[in-house]
Amino acid sequence: MKKRKIMALLMSFAMVCSLTACGGKDTGASQPEPAPAPADNTAAPDTSANQAEPAPADPAQAADITLWTYPVGNWGDSATVDALIANFNAAYPDIHVTVEYLDYTNGDDQINTAIEGNQAPDIVLEGPERLVANWGARGLMVDLADLWTDDAKAAIYDSVENACKSNDGIFYEYPLCMTAHTMAVNRDIFEAAGALQYLDEEKGTWTTENFQKAIQAVYDNGQQNVGAVYCSGQGGDQGTRALINNLYGGTFTNPEHTEYTANSPENIKALELLKGMDGINFDASIAGGDEVNMFCNGTFAVAFCWNATQEKNNAEQGNINFDVLPMAFPTESGDPQLCGGIWGFGIFDNGDQAKIDAAKTFIDFMANDEKQAVESVKASNFWPVKDLGNIYEGDELMSEYAKFIPYMGDYYQVVPGWAEARTAWWNMLQQIGSGTDVSAAVEEFVTTANTAAAK
Amino acid sequence: MTKQNPMSKALVRRETIAGYAFMLPSLIFFLGFVVYPMIQCVYTSFFDATMNREDIFIGLANYKELFQDKTFLGALKNTVVIVIVSVPITCIFSLWVSSVIYDLKGFACSAFRCIFYLPVVTGSVAVAVVWKWMFNNYYGIFNYIGTSTGLIEQNINWLGDERFALGCIILILLTTSVGQPIVLYVSALNNVDQSLVEAAEVDGATKFQCFWKIKWPQIMPTTLYILVITTINSFQCFALIQLLTSGGPNHSTDTIMYYIYYNAFKLYRYGYGNAMGVVLAIMIALLSALQFKMAESK
Repeated sequence: MKKRKIMALLMSFAMVCSLTACGGKDTGASQPEPAPAPADNTAAPDTSANQAEPAPADPAQAADITLWTYPVGNWGDSATVDALIANFNAAYPDIHVTVEYLDYTNGDDQINTAIEGNQAPDIVLEGPERLVANWGARGLMVDLADLWTDDAKAAIYDSVENACKSNDGIFYEYPLCMTAHTMAVNRDIFEAAGALQYLDEEKGTWTTENFQKAIQAVYDNGQQNVGAVYCSGQGGDQGTRALINNLYGGTFTNPEHTEYTANSPENIKALELLKGMDGINFDASIAGGDEVNMFCNGTFAVAFCWNATQEKNNAEQGNINFDVLPMAFPTESGDPQLCGGIWGFGIFDNGDQAKIDAAKTFIDFMANDEKQAVESVKASNFWPVKDLGNIYEGDELMSEYAKFIPYMGDYYQVVPGWAEARTAWWNMLQQIGSGTDVSAAVEEFVTTANTAAAK
Repeated sequence: MTKQNPMSKALVRRETIAGYAFMLPSLIFFLGFVVYPMIQCVYTSFFDATMNREDIFIGLANYKELFQDKTFLGALKNTVVIVIVSVPITCIFSLWVSSVIYDLKGFACSAFRCIFYLPVVTGSVAVAVVWKWMFNNYYGIFNYIGTSTGLIEQNINWLGDERFALGCIILILLTTSVGQPIVLYVSALNNVDQSLVEAAEVDGATKFQCFWKIKWPQIMPTTLYILVITTINSFQCFALIQLLTSGGPNHSTDTIMYYIYYNAFKLYRYGYGNAMGVVLAIMIALLSALQFKMAESK
């Protein structure tokens, strides 16, 4: 009986411990091993690809490399990626690329597990917040300075270049594509409320004053829930940050990306404005994805979490039965600073120079080859990080959203302590929504975030 | 004293070896995936352990920090509230339901067991999505019924208001927790010696007396098992929090398990997360021991 009791207690102890211990790390100082080739999705060289004559084999270049890709548009679709790799193999038949597809729910855990097991992929396709601020800052990534030639620096937009390097100037990402996150309004509801007069539909901009007037007009016209400052989690949080920062010209961090500045008078004023507006609700029960759904089903008249892909996907799925008007976030100056997404390639330092060289060859081909770069970018459904001409000619939707790319603002997501700051941000919005004084809430946020940044 | 037959000795040895051989795969799994992580968990809790750098030994610093961490203390309070509310309700409700349905004829009993067991076999994501819709602030069915019947004047943000969010989580937890105890209680009640019940009835015992004096002592081992399992499950409430509230609003639904996840897998503070895991495990072990002791004394 006693033995049984001890076993039962031990089991309950084990059940709890086993969850957290999954993260236990190997403290041994073992050398990194080359990444294994996952069995699935190996893209075999395809000489039938739409390319010039296959290049002659060069044994010096022969390597098997792995590419792990987050679902950046169709870079998460195996058929598309296989075609892209077939193009690559037509030019470089001796470099074999094995692809693994990640999602944003489990991708980080998969990569972190691989890092811990010294089995990180050679190439990963994602954005600077992971490649630069996370894995780069931890010393796991290869310096891509040799890809960032003077020509590349001259061609790639400055804001993108700045985002791809660490504060000490090391390039951990070579960018491929970008987008600017916007907001959107239900044009039909705005028209019915006579609120379209407050918007510059052609430029997609509006002033803070006109934003207030428009929201009030829609609310007065019977739309009780015009929009929501969603804050149940971090999903789509770039929308709430962009809204608050733009209203009175506040910033999320300092220009050096070393300190959080959400407690500036401009941000406090913006939060107080939103808190007091009719029809705008600080909602701790929904996140960005929920807000998008509720915008599409007509519950809300505006969405703060929006971009071209949202419209494309929801339109294709038949979720939208009204005219969507994408808009930049309102500003006093009329010069919005949109939050953006930048995606590109990073190389994990697995200690094998041949694989690193092959990975660089792959990146150079995908992002810089005259013909291939356009295809690579189009596969992402986003826009190029340099001038490649109008790659979406004839595509009305993409052409409409292209006007927002020049509004791309500072890419501050590379600031240290980002993971804690993101959580603290939506907690701060929840506090404000439940009646906490705005100044006190932002002060607490900044203290938490800056403490994390200083670690 | 009788002398043991050498043949039977060999047979016993053979059976013992066969027994261990059958156990071996599970034992390897248990040692590799339960015991080893458990030891690692305790060991790492004394280190400042994170990704891609050597662990730094910090002694009891993680534990010291833990009890000064307001969010952890809030999560601890919420977890205790969940346990205190959900464990008795689950046990009492499932005992009541099973007492009612075990008397029913075969099909009806099976049907009810199925109905109550459905939320257990349904994936927690699906359950959470449905409940999220029902609690929706704008078009959820609870708000619709409440406003239609005049019970509430305006929509309530059930999951977005700290006054209601934890209650909603407990309600959902109850619906997913009662299925297994009901099935277990129905089986336990079926195993009660009917001759004793009939004898007591002949002697004039009431239904309540039959239950309290005859059935209850006989289903006590099942009750103990249900108490322990429900307590552990309540302490480990995680998926609902992760899917519905992420610990909000204002940390009002943070639980220890969610906070462990947040620290270990969002902030990569493995050492700190493991220290919480150890504290939680000790709490569960102590409570389980107490439950054993109380059951034994009865």
